[in-house]
Amino acid sequence: MVLLWAGDCPLTKPVVSSLFGNLFSVTGMILPYLAIALLLIVTGYSAFVSFRQPRLDSESTWLFPAGTQRSARIGVAIFTVAILAGLTVWLTAGARHSGRHPSRFLIPEGYVGWVRVEFEVSGAPPVPLEGGEYQFKLPASGVLRTSSTEEFGWAKDRYFYYSGKETRPLPDSGAEGTRFIWGNINGEGSGVQGKRKYEEFFVGTEQQFKQHMMGEERGDTGAATTPSK
Amino acid sequence: MIPFVLYFAAGVMSGYHVYTLLTLAVVGAPFDPLEFVSLAGSLALIVAAYWSLFRPHAAAKLALLASLATWCFYGPAIAHSLSRL
Repeated sequence: MVLLWAGDCPLTKPVVSSLFGNLFSVTGMILPYLAIALLLIVTGYSAFVSFRQPRLDSESTWLFPAGTQRSARIGVAIFTVAILAGLTVWLTAGARHSGRHPSRFLIPEGYVGWVRVEFEVSGAPPVPLEGGEYQFKLPASGVLRTSSTEEFGWAKDRYFYYSGKETRPLPDSGAEGTRFIWGNINGEGSGVQGKRKYEEFFVGTEQQFKQHMMGEERGDTGAATTPSK
Repeated sequence: MIPFVLYFAAGVMSGYHVYTLLTLAVVGAPFDPLEFVSLAGSLALIVAAYWSLFRPHAAAKLALLASLATWCFYGPAIAHSLSRL
């Protein structure tokens, strides 16, 4: 299915809004229309120029130039170098700030359903940092509230079922039938307690994940975040 | 300069738009192979922009082909969006 604006997709809408915020919602809505308008002009202009018979005695006009002056070419070269330099600086600065601490999610043994971590909750305990990893130990409800701030960037997170002191790893990727972590999203929601930044993901098999998603589409809210032991 | 500005702006705008849609595929957004055709068309538009400084007529032919490639995505996308109204 082709989507003109990925923010329309129910699966990615919270991710899109959290990634780009208001900037994306304004420029993101204008961008496709601007691109389409420019494409219409370019298609018409280039078709006219392509099929127009150039005459040797025809004068060069500003709309249909026969060539470009040397000064304009130098201007374009300077513009290109400036754009490339700006991109290099931007990408380098972005790469320096792209890291974050990895997270270790400890989920109660047998839990199946959505897990939610809410950040910047006043009065809630901070998430401990052990061995360079944030330790998110989720209660049986599957909802963990912390006063810690959410970090962004790339890192390899790990997921485990825990029972007492015993843990067993839950794969978040891999072959069909072995993966147990799905639909990881970060977002920001508003409620009676104000704005909340959160991270959510689903714990279970692919079939259980699909069943929960279908249940939510039907409006069956009981299908979401249901611990089953 | 008019062809350069037109081709360059159209290439950058459409290319950036399609690129953002493709990057969202990482988080599960649906994507279509035609988006890659469209992205290639956007890149060809930028090439045509620079070529237009030297060979405006030949660059116009490339720009026409490139814009048609870009429409491969925007055409069905507009039709789909209109059908949802």
